[in-house]
Amino acid sequence: MAAACAGMEAAAAAAPAPPPSPPPPAAAAAAAAGPGWAELVCAQGRNLKAVLCQRCGSRVLLPGAATFARRELLLPAMRKKAAAAAAAGGGDVVREHWLVRDMFSFENVGFTRDVGNVKFLVCADCEAGPIGWHCLDDKDSFYVALERVAHE
Amino acid sequence: MEPGSGLPQRRVGGGGLDLGAGSAAGSPALSGGQSRRRKQPPRPADFKLQVIIIGSRGVGKTSLMERFTDDTFCEACKSTVGVDFKIKTVELRGKKIRLQIWDTAGQERFNSITSAYYRSAKGIILVYDITKKETFDDLPKWMKMIDKYASEDAELLLVGNKLDCEVDREITRQQGEKFAQQITGMRFCEASAKDNFNVDEIFLKLVDDILKKMPLDVIRNELSNSILSLQPEPEIPPELPPPRPHVRCC
Repeated sequence: MAAACAGMEAAAAAAPAPPPSPPPPAAAAAAAAGPGWAELVCAQGRNLKAVLCQRCGSRVLLPGAATFARRELLLPAMRKKAAAAAAAGGGDVVREHWLVRDMFSFENVGFTRDVGNVKFLVCADCEAGPIGWHCLDDKDSFYVALERVAHE
Repeated sequence: MEPGSGLPQRRVGGGGLDLGAGSAAGSPALSGGQSRRRKQPPRPADFKLQVIIIGSRGVGKTSLMERFTDDTFCEACKSTVGVDFKIKTVELRGKKIRLQIWDTAGQERFNSITSAYYRSAKGIILVYDITKKETFDDLPKWMKMIDKYASEDAELLLVGNKLDCEVDREITRQQGEKFAQQITGMRFCEASAKDNFNVDEIFLKLVDDILKKMPLDVIRNELSNSILSLQPEPEIPPELPPPRPHVRCC
């Protein structure tokens, strides 16, 4: 079962490395987020804003419910056309995530059936997604990709 | 999506996701940050309840799950993999309640749904399609499953779905009411997942009933820790069908 997880990450690792992010002196956590995301991360590395579904605005996480985390993960494409185009083994490598430690910290979220050893996270209301990733081997980690959600 | 093949997956999923419920949103790392001055740490949920949606194939179980708290009925967006369960948050009577909603779609054969779903459910929504008599005729079989596996204090709600297809109606409202009346404490209503008629109400009423029924300490301790414990246990079929009329309706 672990192989499925490892496979995912191997695929992710094969992708190009993330752009280097210059470390601003102030807050380490915000620095880790890189220029694009810094404004979303508080000094403790938590999400300053609520995390919403990009499509329907469903509330996924309240402010402060998750911590910023970097990890290369492969998520299937969100849009059908893109998904079809990338059918060969497709998806996007995403690196910046909100890491949630308890499933019940989510306001609203859906879990797909198992894909290998992974469950993908989707919007609980409109089922847009995948917006995140959860490996059954790590019960206490739920990743929500920053680039696949809205912040408010 | 063969029912048989779906089962082990669910067990794995449920088991694998079995987190201690105690460690809700307010984790220790949240305390004492200066940026918290403005924003309180997210309030942990007061209660966590498991709800399952059952009923014969094609009655609209999944639609009910989708429609709850949502205003975008979208047929195009079904993920190919399918959704296993959802976490939804509602506020009711000043309490914040996290619902874990399991939809049994794809496992409609009566013998194919694991008893574990039933056992941990505090609310059971039994759905039929008002335009398909056979789904109504199946109800006694579903009740047998409930009698056999579900907790005695699980709240039951019978839903006649597809009210938007009134012209094709085969089962009258009275028939539905009559069926529900034969079962102690079972509520009945008709709904349309497509029009979002009565859908939110279904869940809220069910939750309200669950909360009303339980002393607070029971909810806090027993309930919140039992959620997601989907590991199979020795099967205990309690045979508890004392049909008593009980009129209540939403």
